Amino acid sequence: MTSERPDMSVQLGSLRLRNPVMTASGTFGFGVEYAECVDLERLGAVVIKAVTVEPRIGNRPPRIAETAAGMLNAIGLQNPGVDAVIAEKLPELASYDVPIIANLAGESVAEYVQLAERLTACGYVAALELNISCPNVSHGMMFSSSPELTGELVAAVRRVTDLPLITKLSPNVTDIVPMAVAAVEAGSDALSLINTLLGMSIDVARRRPMVGNITAGLSGPAIKPVALRCVWQVYEAVQVPLIGMGGIMDSHDALQFIMAGASAVAVGTASFVNPAASVEIIGGLEQYCCDHDLCGIGSLVGVAHS
Amino acid sequence: MVQEKCRLLSSEQVAPGHWVLRLAAPAIASFARAGQFVHVRIPTTYDPLLRRPISIMLPEARQGNLRLLTCAVGRGTRMLVETPIGTELDLLGPLGTAFPLPGGPELSEAKEVLLVAGGMGVAPLVFLADTLRGMDHHAYVRGLFGAATEDLLVSWTEFAARCDEFYVSTEDGSAGEQGRVTDTLVAQLERGQADVVYTCGPIAMMAQVAQMCHDAGVACYCSFEQRMGCGVGACLSCAVPAAGGGYVRVCRDGPVFAADRLDWEAILDDI
Repeated sequence: MTSERPDMSVQLGSLRLRNPVMTASGTFGFGVEYAECVDLERLGAVVIKAVTVEPRIGNRPPRIAETAAGMLNAIGLQNPGVDAVIAEKLPELASYDVPIIANLAGESVAEYVQLAERLTACGYVAALELNISCPNVSHGMMFSSSPELTGELVAAVRRVTDLPLITKLSPNVTDIVPMAVAAVEAGSDALSLINTLLGMSIDVARRRPMVGNITAGLSGPAIKPVALRCVWQVYEAVQVPLIGMGGIMDSHDALQFIMAGASAVAVGTASFVNPAASVEIIGGLEQYCCDHDLCGIGSLVGVAHS
Repeated sequence: MVQEKCRLLSSEQVAPGHWVLRLAAPAIASFARAGQFVHVRIPTTYDPLLRRPISIMLPEARQGNLRLLTCAVGRGTRMLVETPIGTELDLLGPLGTAFPLPGGPELSEAKEVLLVAGGMGVAPLVFLADTLRGMDHHAYVRGLFGAATEDLLVSWTEFAARCDEFYVSTEDGSAGEQGRVTDTLVAQLERGQADVVYTCGPIAMMAQVAQMCHDAGVACYCSFEQRMGCGVGACLSCAVPAAGGGYVRVCRDGPVFAADRLDWEAILDDI
């Protein structure tokens, strides 16, 4: 056994995280909602809920439905808009010692550029995550379905920010690899894999779709094999760090993503089930490193490929 | 709000499909207020995945216990009521808003209150009635309880015992007045003896109560239910339409809302 604690830190572009576990956008609000029961300063990073240029009131309810080992959501990017997020949400979260990653959602290249400029200038944000894969708004997946549009968008944002740039891709495509390659070639420093899977459910008693938006994004343990496969495929095609997410409930799940090629992981739906999940996963990963005499978590990234 | 491992002390069926669970939850019981809820994890499974929000019927603060009323409507709640006694359940709570109390800033002049319960909506009103009785200059409490049939007047003795006056109605006339609880409410509001109305029950019932109170110029607070994700205000899954546009979160802005804060027409449209 090594006597020193394993090095849990990871590098995403120019951003160094103290450990590889972050929250998944949309599942952790603006961080402070969970501050009473989660020690935010233990986390690798907090990824905030998607921010749009203008305020959005979101989709009509019901917005959530449970499915086998998973859940559907169609919130519709409800958020108070970038000005209010910077003025009212980020200062409180910034009072905690944890890097903030902003998730950006636009309807055009110009909107993403505007969001990137505002969020870079505000000074609270450590990295940007481009949400080009929201299944619950019209045009939400437009960019993530085309390598050309993905490349064009990432290149445009790249020109206006020096912050580490992460592109969050959709699994709702025939082949995720060309999207990943396009994002990286256009200057993305890292990739988030994956957003939710497009799905739906029907309430037989009411003879209506369960969710007001009709279609919704599937998350939770049910999608983990799909997410893991995406990480595996993309790892073989690009050189940048990957952030794996999709149904991670515990450190065993997180280890699978890391071994498939993820440098970091994000915990989403698991926080609803167990608010302590992300912190417990950090502990579990560290314990695994100790038990296996690893000097750091980095040596596990992609090991299942060799 | 805390995440607490709570031993299940008893699980008693109190009506067809309805159970009262008693849990050892010293932390949550010590600071729970009437109207708040707990978010309960279904033990040892990811299917069903999500927690179940259950309003607190009564904290036994001295013993550190909580009583929860639940209706086993789906697979998750059925698994919950079938959980073996002694099992440790994972609770998050107390969550959400409480009923504003007479003498507080919103209701400084309230001396007579009406509690209007429909079916298992009685749960938070038992807690409220209990709280009101324990106050120094306690308000005069009239309890109105309606259900489809007598056996669905869940835990009515618990409710009745904490009210100064108590009225029962059933739709089939098997107990109390035949009719709906809102029929009883009409008569009460006409007497002009209510300074505030608190209600919990089916949405259609609460919408009617809200309208009647609005027309009578009486303050009304309702306790709401919605499919829920996180329970702490982060995921925005449990949104309900707000008066004036937009949405409020049942888990954080509610579950107790001033009735005029909600867009009842849109809410009735969605169900």
